[in-house]
Amino acid sequence: MNATLTLTKLDVMRVIRNGRYLIFAIAMPAALYLIIGKQTTTADGVQFKAYYMLAMATYGAFAGALMNNSIRIATERKSGWTRQLRLTPLPGWGYVFAKVVTSLATTVPSVLVVFGIGAFLNHVDMPAWKWVVNALVLWLASMTFVSLAVAIGYRFDPETAQPAVMLVFFPMALLGGLWFPLGGTLEKIGKWFPTYQAHKLGTDIISTGKVSATSIAVVAGWGVLFALLAIVSYRSAKEQ
Amino acid sequence: MVAAQVGLVSLMSNGKTGHTRLGTPEMPRDTRSPNGAVVEFENVSKTFHSPKGPVHAVNGLTMALQPGQTIAFLGPNGAGKSTSLNMLLGLSRPDSGRVALFGGTAAEAIKHGMVGAMLQSGGLMSDVTVKEQVELWAKLHPRPIPVIDALKRANIADLADRRVDKLSGGQQQRVQFAMAIIGDSPLIVLDEPTTGMDVENRQAFWATMRERAYEGKTVLFATHYLEEADQFAERVIVINKGRLLADGSSAEIKASAGAKRLSFRLPGVQDAVLHRLPNLVSVERQADIVRLQTSDSDATLYALLDAGYRPAEIEIQALGLEQAFIAITAEDNNHADGTTATLEAAR
Repeated sequence: MNATLTLTKLDVMRVIRNGRYLIFAIAMPAALYLIIGKQTTTADGVQFKAYYMLAMATYGAFAGALMNNSIRIATERKSGWTRQLRLTPLPGWGYVFAKVVTSLATTVPSVLVVFGIGAFLNHVDMPAWKWVVNALVLWLASMTFVSLAVAIGYRFDPETAQPAVMLVFFPMALLGGLWFPLGGTLEKIGKWFPTYQAHKLGTDIISTGKVSATSIAVVAGWGVLFALLAIVSYRSAKEQ
Repeated sequence: MVAAQVGLVSLMSNGKTGHTRLGTPEMPRDTRSPNGAVVEFENVSKTFHSPKGPVHAVNGLTMALQPGQTIAFLGPNGAGKSTSLNMLLGLSRPDSGRVALFGGTAAEAIKHGMVGAMLQSGGLMSDVTVKEQVELWAKLHPRPIPVIDALKRANIADLADRRVDKLSGGQQQRVQFAMAIIGDSPLIVLDEPTTGMDVENRQAFWATMRERAYEGKTVLFATHYLEEADQFAERVIVINKGRLLADGSSAEIKASAGAKRLSFRLPGVQDAVLHRLPNLVSVERQADIVRLQTSDSDATLYALLDAGYRPAEIEIQALGLEQAFIAITAEDNNHADGTTATLEAAR
């Protein structure tokens, strides 16, 4: 266990040192929120500054969970790093464990930075418990994309992992209303995605303090689907 | 080492089963003491399926490595070296036969920190420093030596704070080397350990490996540099086409390969005449000087004399391990295929 934790700690440090993570998961959503988030309109029953804070925090958390790990797992499988680890006393699950924990850890700063901008610069106002619950909900929802990262990392090569991530994630982010609020047909489609529903959990908490079972079911459903994909990909990669 | 254990393994293979006999008939198999062995292969086979049909990468390989030996593992490309090492380390499973490390499975041995392995380049992290990488390895093993000692022995103490992925190939090899020794494991397995290292670091590397061997550790290495095997290995194992071909000290292999260089001055001799000589491995000419490599220098020379030639300045020289290696693999290919072996095929 000690060995696994050491690997995990090192994996987290590597992510923080890596420029791509900082840009996609922290700097980009924070910058977009700073630029766009000041409008005084409303969306989904909350002030736009709160809507867009949740949107960018969701985007950052999911991107952080997904992008870094999927490409790293694919690269490290190819480079022989995972083989090298198999020649140490590290338990077989240690590598994936470290990756999952790393993903979960790296979603935290994305959420905190955007929430910080919301609270201190854009003056989003809500009771303390709603801040905490919103952050926790986002963190739990990002598990969905932690699983997807493992699935893609074990299924694709380093060269194809990145396009695969983009192809899955950008439509989900767009249709989920994370870049701008949607209406009409696009929103009807978007409702089926975990991006949309994870964000809606947040706006519902702010506006009514209650969440819908549909939102939880959609996010959890995708979570289960991606987890199954991850298990299948991991197993078939191990057999090769 | 008991003299009876070594010597060129008979090349006879029983064609039907592909089974290779170990040693000469008067040598009982149990002199290899399977119980005390660090590594045991017992009639191990592994076949890959390619579009062109099955490839018998390893074909009835049997060998045992004793503690405290430094063993070079040699073979031409495609001989089954990597496949054998992968099975040894538990990275792949044999189709049939038994592979044991310290009497158990590879997974168990690795779990208990009994194996320090250095694969061919690539098994390193990105975005970490040399020190962090080696420290991680120290944490992963149950009985590590101090990190600074490993860095010094691998001659990378001055690189400790550099990023691993920014190092040159030779420097990365040294990082892997530090990782292979930090666990203080009784078995060290090295696949092409000195590729990309300069002469100085190669010397340092082997000096450290010698110390490990003195401490009673078993060091098994695969290499392309046959002079390294010649200099540093007490025992040389040659495999070809997935079978054990020779097993003994470097001197014994050279002697039993019988590979000699025969050179003489013979103006105006036709190439065709030279190529008809028996036991030939290679022919080289420089004006009037002819240099032949032969597995039986006496037979080759007599045939030349019998053909009516009278060469001058005859010299017969024993060859290095490299030439011995080429000779025995070429001979093996010759036997099995019934075709003329070429140097290219042997390498």
